[in-house]
This record gives sequence, C-alpha cells and structure tokens, in this order.
Amino acid sequence: MSAYSLQKLIREINRNSDTRARFFQSPHSIVSGSELSEEEKAALLAKDFGALYRLGVHGLLLRPFSILHGQSEPDYLLAIRGGGPK
Amino acid sequence: MTIAYACAMGHAPGILAWTDAAPAAQKDRLYAAFDELRGRLEAARLDALVVFTAEHWANFFLDHMSAFCIGMAARFDGPIEPWLKIPKVEIPGDEQLARAIVTACYENDLEPSFAQEMHFDHGTMTPLHFLTPDMSVPVVPIVINTLAPPFPSARRCLKLGRVVGELLRDSNKRVGIVATGGMSHDPGERNHGYIDSAFDRRFLEHMSAGDIEALGEYSSSALSAAGAGAVELLNWIALAGALQSFRGNVLSYEPVKPWATGIGAMSFELSERAQH
Repeated sequence: MSAYSLQKLIREINRNSDTRARFFQSPHSIVSGSELSEEEKAALLAKDFGALYRLGVHGLLLRPFSILHGQSEPDYLLAIRGGGPK
Repeated sequence: MTIAYACAMGHAPGILAWTDAAPAAQKDRLYAAFDELRGRLEAARLDALVVFTAEHWANFFLDHMSAFCIGMAARFDGPIEPWLKIPKVEIPGDEQLARAIVTACYENDLEPSFAQEMHFDHGTMTPLHFLTPDMSVPVVPIVINTLAPPFPSARRCLKLGRVVGELLRDSNKRVGIVATGGMSHDPGERNHGYIDSAFDRRFLEHMSAGDIEALGEYSSSALSAAGAGAVELLNWIALAGALQSFRGNVLSYEPVKPWATGIGAMSFELSERAQH
C-alpha cells in the first residue's frame, strides 16, 4: 500500500463534510494545493476509479469515495478490474 | 470475577444498510441468531463488554497505525456512516477497565496503543446495535489492525486475548466479550463479492472445537486468501485466546451474496476454567 497523500486526501473528502463540499464545488482548488503527483491529480480530477485503484488507493477508501459520485457497484468493479467505465 | 458471556458475529454493512437485498431466508436466520445472542447477553447481566473489533479508516490512518489499540474513553459515538440506517448514538465506555487492560498488557510484554477518543463505524456499531440496542452496557473496544499490512500474527492475537482474559477472570466485574468481523469477503477490492464457504466452515469448526492450536496457525496470507476482510477473523482468534478453554456453537452461517460476505454468528459455552 502506498499513495499516502492521495489516500489521505480521499479519506478527508469521505469524512469531512466541508472538504467534501469544496471538492465537489471546485475540485481543482482542492487538488492543486495538494502534494499529489501529476498522475494522481489527473486520476482524481477525472474520477478515474480504475486508475486510482491501480495507484494504490485502498478499496475501503475508494469504494466509499466512488459512492459519493453515484458509482454503481458493478461499474465500480468493472473499473478497478480494468476495462469498462471509469 | 468472571467472563460471563462471549459471542462472535459479522458486521457486514449490508446487515443494516441493505437488509432487504439479502434473500429473506438468509436474513431471517441471521437476525434470529443475533436475537439469540442478545437474549443470552441480557441474561448474563453484564457490567461491561470488551469488543475485539475492526475499523475501516474511521479513527486511524497511515500516519499512525498500531497493531492493537484500546479505547479508553468515557463515551464513544457512532456510527460515523450516515447511510448505516441506525441512529447516531452515544455509547458509554469503561475507562477503569480499559486502563486495567492496558496496564495488564504492559505487565505481560504487550504494548498496545490507547485512545481517549474513538468514533465507531459499522464494524463496532453493527454488533452493538443487535446485542445492546439501548447502549446500556459500558464498552471497551480493542481495535486490531486488520486494514494495513503487516498485521499482527494469530499467535500474537491469542496472547493479547489471553492477557485480557486473565485480567477479566481476576476482576470484580461481570464482563462479556464480543469478537466481530469476517468471515470471507473482499470489500471494495477486485474480488468484491467473493465468498469462500469452505474456508469459513473450516474456521467455524476450529472455533467450535476451541482448537487454540489450529487458530494460532492461521497466517496473514492464509487469512488474506479468503479476501482482505477475512483478516478481521484475528478478532475471533483474540476472543479464543481470552476464553482459552471453551466450546462454541454456530448459531448461523450464511454466505450472503448481496452483502458480499460470509457471515457467522457464534455463542460460546465457557468451562469453569474459562469463567474463573
């Protein structure tokens, strides 16, 4: 398990309603001030759950994060298993 | 003075959040088992409840993970998840017992973390909701790291349990012990939905027989092979360590596909040695 800063930010969005509101209003403002790599920033802004999974985000952080975006379970699984919807 | 009660049960979010997604017969059998566990708990007239439990990034993160953490607060609250479909409540703690457990651990060459603030997620709230719905029994949560490897070994969890059990047998309170988590499941991961019933039934046989030796042999990789969430069975192994001499009854085991989890519910008959 790696991707420390990425997971920390996703956990914060999941848990903290203020951060969550700011992320949904202006994701760039949250992501640009972070320590994420360019690849991590791109995956987060694109809500590319497959890429986020492959970058090392734990399933118990990523699945709740995907639920915030209305991702169905089958689509989530398709994404993290490779191929299919983001 | 005594360990007056012991049980183990699953805590899959679906039990409370997606209740009706499960086949009615499976849900009914599990709920009946949880009801029986509650009845037995009420009959035991407990002063406190120790819960070997897992958490899911609710309190702890990779900035500071500990193998074991004892909740030493006067009050806890939960669930943190608004979607769990149970009201958010306060749960009394037992600071004195928690501190005694931490001290006993240190005296026996185990150094758990301790926390004077903790918020419960579905991992702890699901069993409490069924077992002590009015939240009248003070709780001491013992969180085992089942999230971020490396995990404590099964033998280490047996030792943690043994130290806790010995303290409880010497205490002047009637204390119950709950273990929660598992069984096979891979939540949020690539094999989400995978349930290994053969693995689950074998584990339940070891728990039923009180086979401490076999339980101590479970490696992290053997547990993880049944899904990332199967590592939570370390909580059950810690319970076995606390009881030492016991027989278990499987009240229900259901591999519930819509809940993506093999769910077990066990009660335990404590021998004289286990109680005192």
